[in-house]
Amino acid sequence: MLHSATERKGEGVSLEAHTASVRQMMRACIQCGTCSASCPNAGAMDMTPRRIWRCVQMDSFEEIFTSQTFTLCSSCYYCSLRCPRGLQPADAMAALKCIAAARQMPQHRSSTLFYRYFLRSVRRNGRVHEMEVMTGYFAHMKNPLLPLRYASLGWKLTSKGKISLPRPARGKGKLDALFAKVAQVEEEN
Amino acid sequence: MENSNTALVVGAGISGIRAALDLAESGHRVVLVERAPHLGGILSQLDRQFPTNRCGMCRMLPAFERDAASQACLRRGLFHERIDIRLSTQITALSGAPGHMQVSLRTAPNGVDARRCVGCGECAEVCPVVVPDPFNAGLTTRKAIYQPVPHDRSTGYVIDVQACTQCGVCASVCPTQAIQLAQDGRRKFHILVVDDELVVRDSLKEWLLAEGYSVRMAASGAEALEMLSGQPVHLMLADIKMPGMDGVELLQRSRQILPELCVLMMTAYATVETAVEAMKMGALDYLMKPFDTAAMMDKVAAVFQEQMAEQDESIAVGAVILACGSDYFDPRRGKNPYGYGTCPHVLTQLEFERLLSGSGPFGGALLRPADRRPVGKIAFLQCVGSRDLQSDADFCSSVCCMIAIKQARLARERGGAQLAATLFHMDLRTAGLPYQRWGEAACEQDQLRLVRGRVHSLLADPASGDPVLTWLGPDGQITGETFDLVVLAVGQRPAQGLAPLAEMTGLSLNPWGFVRTQAHSLVRTDQAGILVAGACAGLKDINESVIQASAAAAEAGRILHATGGTLSVAADAARTPPRDLSADPPRIAVALCTCDGALNAEGAAAALEARLNQDPCVSRIVFLNRLCTDDGWRTLVDGLNDPQANRILLGACRSDAFTPRLRALVAENGLPSQMVEAVDLRIYDREPSAASRQARVATDLAMAVARLKHAEPVRPPGVSVVQHALVVGGGIAGMQAALSIAERGYLVTLVEKQASLGGNLHWLRQTLDGADLTALLADTIDRVAHQPLIHVHLQTEVQSAFGQVGHFYTTLAPAKAAPHILEHGVTVLATGCGEASTAAYGYGTHAAVVTQKELEVRLADQRIDPQQLGAVVMILCVASREAPRSYCSRVCCPTALKQALTLKRANPATAVYILYRDMMTCGFSETFFTQARREGIVFMPYATDAKPRVTADATQGPCIRTMDSILGADVEIRVDLLVLATGLVPELPPELATAYGAQLDEDHFFRPADFKWRPVEALTAGVFACGCALSPRGVAESIATAQAAAQKAVGILRRPTIAPDAVTATVRRSLCSLCERCIDACPFGARALSPEQDQVLINPAMCQGCGACAAACPNGAAVVSNYSAGQMLAMIAEVVKCDV
Repeated sequence: MLHSATERKGEGVSLEAHTASVRQMMRACIQCGTCSASCPNAGAMDMTPRRIWRCVQMDSFEEIFTSQTFTLCSSCYYCSLRCPRGLQPADAMAALKCIAAARQMPQHRSSTLFYRYFLRSVRRNGRVHEMEVMTGYFAHMKNPLLPLRYASLGWKLTSKGKISLPRPARGKGKLDALFAKVAQVEEEN
Repeated sequence: MENSNTALVVGAGISGIRAALDLAESGHRVVLVERAPHLGGILSQLDRQFPTNRCGMCRMLPAFERDAASQACLRRGLFHERIDIRLSTQITALSGAPGHMQVSLRTAPNGVDARRCVGCGECAEVCPVVVPDPFNAGLTTRKAIYQPVPHDRSTGYVIDVQACTQCGVCASVCPTQAIQLAQDGRRKFHILVVDDELVVRDSLKEWLLAEGYSVRMAASGAEALEMLSGQPVHLMLADIKMPGMDGVELLQRSRQILPELCVLMMTAYATVETAVEAMKMGALDYLMKPFDTAAMMDKVAAVFQEQMAEQDESIAVGAVILACGSDYFDPRRGKNPYGYGTCPHVLTQLEFERLLSGSGPFGGALLRPADRRPVGKIAFLQCVGSRDLQSDADFCSSVCCMIAIKQARLARERGGAQLAATLFHMDLRTAGLPYQRWGEAACEQDQLRLVRGRVHSLLADPASGDPVLTWLGPDGQITGETFDLVVLAVGQRPAQGLAPLAEMTGLSLNPWGFVRTQAHSLVRTDQAGILVAGACAGLKDINESVIQASAAAAEAGRILHATGGTLSVAADAARTPPRDLSADPPRIAVALCTCDGALNAEGAAAALEARLNQDPCVSRIVFLNRLCTDDGWRTLVDGLNDPQANRILLGACRSDAFTPRLRALVAENGLPSQMVEAVDLRIYDREPSAASRQARVATDLAMAVARLKHAEPVRPPGVSVVQHALVVGGGIAGMQAALSIAERGYLVTLVEKQASLGGNLHWLRQTLDGADLTALLADTIDRVAHQPLIHVHLQTEVQSAFGQVGHFYTTLAPAKAAPHILEHGVTVLATGCGEASTAAYGYGTHAAVVTQKELEVRLADQRIDPQQLGAVVMILCVASREAPRSYCSRVCCPTALKQALTLKRANPATAVYILYRDMMTCGFSETFFTQARREGIVFMPYATDAKPRVTADATQGPCIRTMDSILGADVEIRVDLLVLATGLVPELPPELATAYGAQLDEDHFFRPADFKWRPVEALTAGVFACGCALSPRGVAESIATAQAAAQKAVGILRRPTIAPDAVTATVRRSLCSLCERCIDACPFGARALSPEQDQVLINPAMCQGCGACAAACPNGAAVVSNYSAGQMLAMIAEVVKCDV
């Protein structure tokens, strides 16, 4: 159970079919920039959300997937709250993440894996165990230098007691039904 | 039911006033009903208008029969002898068919007798209740008794019933006892409380007495019945469960004695069903025990109001025009991202307008309301509650962009060169003919900064509290800036009360709650006999509102005419003919109201009498009392019953209030209107001393005596009217104008140079909203053919023309026959427009480059097959909205959307790109803009300095390269079809317009007398234009202008002679040196040199009495009658007390 339903769905589906839902969601965008100016993560994005939606309209999904913007969306929903067209940019960002995962895009492998280990930890423990997420993630990435990039952040968090040591999971399997349901819904869509 | 020559106009804003004046001018009677206690609607709060930066409301006043109406500032009141104005009034019921409708009107009592109120303001001075003043949008305060519009003296003071505490202080200081508080009424309102429990009776009595009612009590049904037969009872509160006779039986038996008695049942929860039964038997309502005091008192108060309010008045009308305006979005509602109401430096456009006004909180000084700091940086945020699906507003409010530009310019005027204004918008909608230039001037002259982008929210700077805005620029950079003031362009919402009105009348509303109009009409609703004007069918600027109101008046007039409501020409003729006073020396009868002796304080009356009697022309002086009452007025009528007197001077408080009755009186006496003067004595004005007041009153009256003495008794002869109209141009506007005139019973000649009627409708198939234009054309041609009063001349051109209002001579030249001369009274120019030609973007070099018209035609005759189109680009604003054609053609954006949607729906695989500057989808057409995006049409803005580039290649389709600012790169699109929106150009030959005395504007459209206030008529009387000859517009709008022009034409055609008004220019031939300066000075073209060249002639119907000629004349030969130099000097002499 390493690959989620989302990740399995990409096999044999054309990019156009995959992105149809995003196109449907964001076609009516008027490029007012409300989403982008609202976004708390905009500073870290290599492409503004508005530009992403423009690319959606122009059907340049290749350009979208060269960008890391959508992986940086933290789903705060400011954009959806404020969009004057009543669109759901945050949902569209999530859909883009799913497509990237489903098509196993190499350029988004890192964030896809991170998501996977994050959710696995949640499923096992009912909450995130940072150490567990990062260990799994680092192991899978097979890049010995990668943990070093996180060393300083890890040290800071640990010193503040933000990272707990792994504990035996309590209530193991309690969230299985929930995850199974999500998988089923994803399968159906 | 009798047919009625009266129309009802609901709403006295600009549209309502325009419609009412139009109907009155065409001879109908009008009842003008307004819910508010003042006239003018929203415009009473807006001092200046775009694109002139001034007010021109008075230009709506009649140009003919000026004496029938007030001739002063419309903000200070309106009078017309055929308009009955009812303020604070609403309609409560409406029934019947067109021509025979019955309407119930209810006037809310406002506590002040308008006829007695002299507007002195003593009441407001002492009133202890202070509430925010809605006139200044809440930026200032007022009292509970107030003048609704401070500068409108015609309405006097009214009481805000919601705010008033009924303390009675105002009533005690009112010098004319004009105030009748409801409190007094309550004491006369007797309530009978019937309950077997003493504690209930006692507490009810206590509550009701505290509210000011009179209360009686009965312990049983029998006792109650006894009391009912003895004393007056207005309301009975009866308990249901009582020993002996229960409440229900009491109800039945009491109604046998008093069938009209109002009964409220009192019940505990257990007997609610019985209470409901009681209501079926006639009880008004029930009160639940234990009592909720506030709710109970509201119910009692409602019964009191209902009973004490004047009885609903039922009037018969032939047609109804709804002009009830619109409300505005409350930015506090919903998510309120701009912090309105939280950050004190955020205002709505209306608040900002009041801030800029001289009658606003700071006398027009541009200060922040919250801290009175001068304003240096202003941000205007557009589309707050419009074009916003989150607030259920998929429409554009049409006027906010122009209002923002106007306010930016006004702010600059107030704040000086250091003021910096920034306007955040997505599309700057400058869609009216002169608006584009006005907007450009704002940017160039007033350094208005335009930012395309939307501000997502507003934060207050933690230190200073100033609003900080953040937005994403076109370059993708997030910018933050601090402003002093933020102005929100709040969108429109349906007027409060429109929904119940629609329910009552059966009108259908559109998805956003505005009145839905019929296809191709801006004024017809789905209820015959009910028309709409102005913003209740969607927000409009003044120009469009005025056109629509005139169109509604035309339709109402048509209904009145068709159902037998005769034009009141007969009534005019039946009037007493004016007496010939040319040989009589002036004899002035003076009537003065003493206002309960206030005039005669310290024996002033005798001194006044002596002063006035110094003038031998004063034949008698009558002192009267309480002229404001019916009794007082009767004494005036009796007192003036003097056949010798040929001039009347009336002195009273608020003389303007007497104008209507005074006019009627004068007409009865056969005196021309210039022989009557009314002077406002202003007895209650604050003066340093009684002596100075007396001196002022005496001077005012002496001036009026001097004015009357020199009044010109003789008027120039009238101008006869050939009751026949000429309409030039047989497009949809021309045909509609001809129909609208003919349907009112006048002959029309319709001239068309082509071989068939229809103009541009020959190639247009349908509108953006899917209305069928082919059917409209066939139907209209059919109606014209079957209208016996219309003579159609096809393949005929106007060769030459001359003449003036009432009598034009036009030479018509048919293609296959000899020219002939047509005599007619009015001219309507409906020469239309055509698509502009272009050589831009490779047009003419490649078959795949077409204009919008060509696409329309080729789609219709299937020369273009949508299935074959892979990609299509449409470029908007081709050589439009930039010099030399600096105007928006209005129709191209909707046409592009229509064509794009047609192509996309025929073949969803076609990629359609629309390259635009600002999408002008004003009003409800915005929803198609949304639809087009949803269907995958791509919209790309371009700037004038980076226009799209087209390379046309014979082998392949054209290739368009355009800079997309969001992608920050050129986009290359190879297309199968390139569609150019070249805009519209007028087809009005200058020589045709000038032959009739009309002028063309810089873009060669017909120049109206005033773009906003008199949009379909030339400054020269009797010449009108409609359709695209005026300015570019769509089909429904063209039809509206045609109806409006027809209505104006009927206003002239309806009488065989136009009588000149009292104030008209004349020439003293003996002094005239024929220098012709007056001819150049006259703005109305009323002056001309006679064909024999020996004198200057004046057309008294065209003269508006403005006096420009008198000012220009070096010899004093140009005289304005009743404003002559002698008259004015005599008046001045009275002020300075020296002889001339």
